[in-house]
Amino acid sequence: MTADRQLDWPRIKQVGIVGLPPRAVIARLNRHQTIIHDLDEPLLVKTGSDAADLLPKVYCAILRTVVSNARQLELDAIFLDTGAGKCDGARVTARLLAAELAIPVVACDNRDARPLGHPICISALPLPEKMRRITTGVKTAEPPSVAPPPCPPRAGFWGVPPRDFSLLELFPAHTHIYGWTRCMENKTPADHELESYCNPAVPTVFFAQSFCPKTALARYLAERHPQALYLDADQQGGGSARAKIQAFFELSGVVS
Amino acid sequence: MIIGDFGTSYSKLLDLAQTPATPRIVATRELGDFQVDLATGHNARRFGRVQVNELTALARGGEALIAEQDFVLLDCGSRDTKFVRYHAGKLADMGWNAECGASMGFTIELLERYYQLDCRTMPLPQRSFPVTCGVLGLSEIFDAVVNGVSEAEAVARLIRGIARNAWRFAGQPAKIYLSGGLCAHPVFVGSFPCPVAPLGRFVLLEGLQRQRRQPGGEG
Repeated sequence: MTADRQLDWPRIKQVGIVGLPPRAVIARLNRHQTIIHDLDEPLLVKTGSDAADLLPKVYCAILRTVVSNARQLELDAIFLDTGAGKCDGARVTARLLAAELAIPVVACDNRDARPLGHPICISALPLPEKMRRITTGVKTAEPPSVAPPPCPPRAGFWGVPPRDFSLLELFPAHTHIYGWTRCMENKTPADHELESYCNPAVPTVFFAQSFCPKTALARYLAERHPQALYLDADQQGGGSARAKIQAFFELSGVVS
Repeated sequence: MIIGDFGTSYSKLLDLAQTPATPRIVATRELGDFQVDLATGHNARRFGRVQVNELTALARGGEALIAEQDFVLLDCGSRDTKFVRYHAGKLADMGWNAECGASMGFTIELLERYYQLDCRTMPLPQRSFPVTCGVLGLSEIFDAVVNGVSEAEAVARLIRGIARNAWRFAGQPAKIYLSGGLCAHPVFVGSFPCPVAPLGRFVLLEGLQRQRRQPGGEG
């Protein structure tokens, strides 16, 4: 693993990031006008297969995507958050990438605690658009200068951004975002209190990516929420996951 | 108005204009090229002008047929297994297993035909095979038969394993309401480790009718 002080910064033009590296790191990359690729997102037409020989097939789809991106994109360095905001899977994956790749792999411990707010999470934007803005926001140290107007919630999405964003199209208008995605927008990925917050007044889908340790938290919170659906989905949200979301909101009376 | 529950193997049709409206069962592969007004089931998109989610239809069917406020209703179909759990009259949990619990109903029918077994005369087994899906369960049967277990006993153990698996999937309730073709299968019904209330094959049709009457429902 490489320490960031060992980096030859002027030579770094394109980097990959995993999770939320500290704002100071992102700010420095922004100052250098470095191109940032969010390796958590499916950036390549073919994902997953190249990761197969480095990670088991039965593994978090996000981390398999990370490895696939990292091995195919032309990068000068990779910055991964491996602190309390991430999981053991990310920590191990960082070690494997450091061992396998010829570029510097920097493991960061993001302890940022200053909340920058979460206006997108509580806005009236459609859920897929909210998620796109929040996940795109990890590449900049500062929040957007203009916040979208808020709306009262009719439903909730709690959890991490799903590997398959098409699942989000099934949520009704005015769905608020909770969980780790809210921490992402807030730029405080290790804020466990904010991550555990949910709204008992609205029907909420507690989503976790299959094989992610956060499935335990999602299930725990769902069992204590009065109108909850616990849902885990792998790489593609299958027919049963879609049917469950649709039925949940129909039977909760949120949509007809 | 004609409504239909278009399952993987069988379709259940109901013409609401008839008096009395009596549902009929047709093998799905024998259905021609036609469409009904409102449909649910695995093949709903193929045969229905408007579709209702299977879990929604099951839940609405439970609401229509079960007088209790707290209940678990399990539907075991040819292809998948799904359940809804109600608490205090509201949906509390649900599940749809189209992967690990796959093809169980279809496998039972296939095995009974292959071994020419009559489920009405099959013994209720004391043991079960630890099966997770119909396909994986087949090898258990073949191994048991090779080792001297009768074909009827082997198939019955598979069915018991399927029933126990479905019960666990539904959250191990103290009592279970059952929907689907396996309601008429004595070994399947008798294999649950809890009281079973079979509701028959037309629960989803009941659910469709109830869904029609919901605000914004079809019809």
